[in-house]
Amino acid sequence: MSDVHKQIDDVVKGNPIVLFMKGTPSFPMCGFSARVVDALKQTGQPFQAVNVLADPNVREGIKAYGNWPTIPQLYVDGKLVGGCDITMDMFQSGELAPLLEQATAAAASSDN
Amino acid sequence: MAIPIAASPMQAFIEQTLRAAFPDAELDVRDTTGGGDHFHVDIATKRFESLNRIEQHRLVYAALGERVGHEIHALGLTTRIPA
Repeated sequence: MSDVHKQIDDVVKGNPIVLFMKGTPSFPMCGFSARVVDALKQTGQPFQAVNVLADPNVREGIKAYGNWPTIPQLYVDGKLVGGCDITMDMFQSGELAPLLEQATAAAASSDN
Repeated sequence: MAIPIAASPMQAFIEQTLRAAFPDAELDVRDTTGGGDHFHVDIATKRFESLNRIEQHRLVYAALGERVGHEIHALGLTTRIPA
């Protein structure tokens, strides 16, 4: 496992909800990342954001890690949920909020 | 007077590549900005049967290859199984 793969894996496995995005939740640098941030905020669940623009190795590495060629990428419980389209579909259909709630709740109970 | 706008080479590449990869597909490719690097693809093919959404999108990305995320900066995808 390469260093960057391990670095990404640690973040993905160490947090119930992780968004790899361009920019930060306060200052998204891409419309697709901005839409996903907005949806996540509306669910009210805390999430870990990783700004891929801050590290070229992560920016390329996340594509291989997720077997997914574009950013943003949303991971819940260590698994890729999708990019912007799938995440927004799930938000609009009402699937996203309960998925995130369960992930947050499970992480909280395993910390005790 | 409406001036017809020629599809960009990249739009043609996407259409031809997906038609070749999914001959049965109902396909609509739009250049969302007119700049030749942001696209939205609506695609319905029987190949998506028994695949979840992640797998459906991966199949389309795989057909398009390395250009997605590089020359194709953004690719919105709507995948469906034909009715």
